[in-house]
Amino acid sequence: MFAWLKKNDSATVAKDRLTIAIMSDRNNETYPFMSDLKEEIIEVVKKYINVKAIDIKKEREGGFEALSIDIQLDR
Amino acid sequence: MGIVIAVISGKGGVGKTTATANLGLGIATNDEKVILVDFDIGQRNLDMILGLENRVVYDMVQVMDAEVGVNQAIIKSKVNDNLHFLAASQTKDKTVLSSQKVKHLLDALKEEYDYIILDAPAGIESGYEHTIEFADAAIIVVNPEVSSIRDADRAIGILDSKSQKVKEGGDVHKYLVINRIVPEMVQNGEMLNSQDILEILNIKLLGKIPEDKGVIDASNQGKPIILDEKSIAGQAYKRISGRICGKKIDFVDIEAVNKGLLKKFAGIFK
Repeated sequence: MFAWLKKNDSATVAKDRLTIAIMSDRNNETYPFMSDLKEEIIEVVKKYINVKAIDIKKEREGGFEALSIDIQLDR
Repeated sequence: MGIVIAVISGKGGVGKTTATANLGLGIATNDEKVILVDFDIGQRNLDMILGLENRVVYDMVQVMDAEVGVNQAIIKSKVNDNLHFLAASQTKDKTVLSSQKVKHLLDALKEEYDYIILDAPAGIESGYEHTIEFADAAIIVVNPEVSSIRDADRAIGILDSKSQKVKEGGDVHKYLVINRIVPEMVQNGEMLNSQDILEILNIKLLGKIPEDKGVIDASNQGKPIILDEKSIAGQAYKRISGRICGKKIDFVDIEAVNKGLLKKFAGIFK
C-alpha cells in the first residue's frame, strides 16, 4: 500500500561502494618493480651491515611523490 | 598567451569528445579564439563530431614531426570563425608522442589562440599522460555511474603527479562536468546525485549536463548540440562555456524534476 514511500535507493549503495573502492585505490599504490627493488637494496646494504627487514612504500602528498624506504637492522 | 585545457575522463564513452566539441564552439561564441586538438591518436573522432572529417588533410603528428607547418594542418570551422581544429593521426599509435614534441606544439599554439583545448584519449596510459603534461587546467567528464567515477579518480591522481604545473610547485586547475544526468532517476535514488559525486572526487563543479537524445542526432549530422538553442544539453554546454570564459553564470538545478503541476499531482497518487 505504501509502496510509493519506499524508494529504490541504489544511489546510496553506489556512493558507499565507490567511497570504499576509491579509498583503497588511492592507498594501494605500488610499483610493479617493488619486490625486485627490495631484494636489490637488501643485497647492497648487507655488504655493510646486517639487515632484518625492509619496507618500501610509495607515497603521494599534494604534488609530491616519494618512495619511503624503511630498513630494519639486525644486530 | 593562451590557456591549455585538457578534457579527460579515465573511462571511455562518457561523452568526452562531445564535450570538447561543444565547449570549443561555446567558447568561440564568447568571442575567444579557440583551437581544439584531438590527442586521441589512432582513434580520431573529434573531426566527425565537428562535421569536419572531409576537410582533414594533415594531422597533429605530422605537425609535431615537422612534416607540415602548423597552419597548413589547422582546419577552420564552418560554423564559427573563432573555432579551429587540429586532427589526430588515424594511422599512427599513441606511442609516437613525446613530451618535447607536445610542448613545442602547445607553445606555438599558445601564441595564436586564447584557448587550446585537448581531447584526451580514454585510459590512463602514455597518450593520456602527454595530453595532461603541459595543461594549465583539466576538465574531467564523468557520468553518474560507478565505473566512470572510479576511473576519473585514477585519472585525477595521475594528473596530480604528472602535470608539469604541479611539478613546478604550482597547481593544475581541475573542474568536473557531470554528463548524462537523468533527473527522474536522481530523484528516485536510482542515480548518484552531483553533490555525492563532488564529495567522492573532492573537486569543483563546472557544470551538469542532462541526458538528451538530441546529442546522438547532433553527432549523426556533425553539428554539435550547442547549435540547437532548444536542446537542454546544448543550453548546459552554453552555460559551462560562459563559465570557462569567466562569466558569472548561476548553476541550474537540472536534477530537480521539472514536472508540470498536473504531473506532480499524478505523482502523489501513484
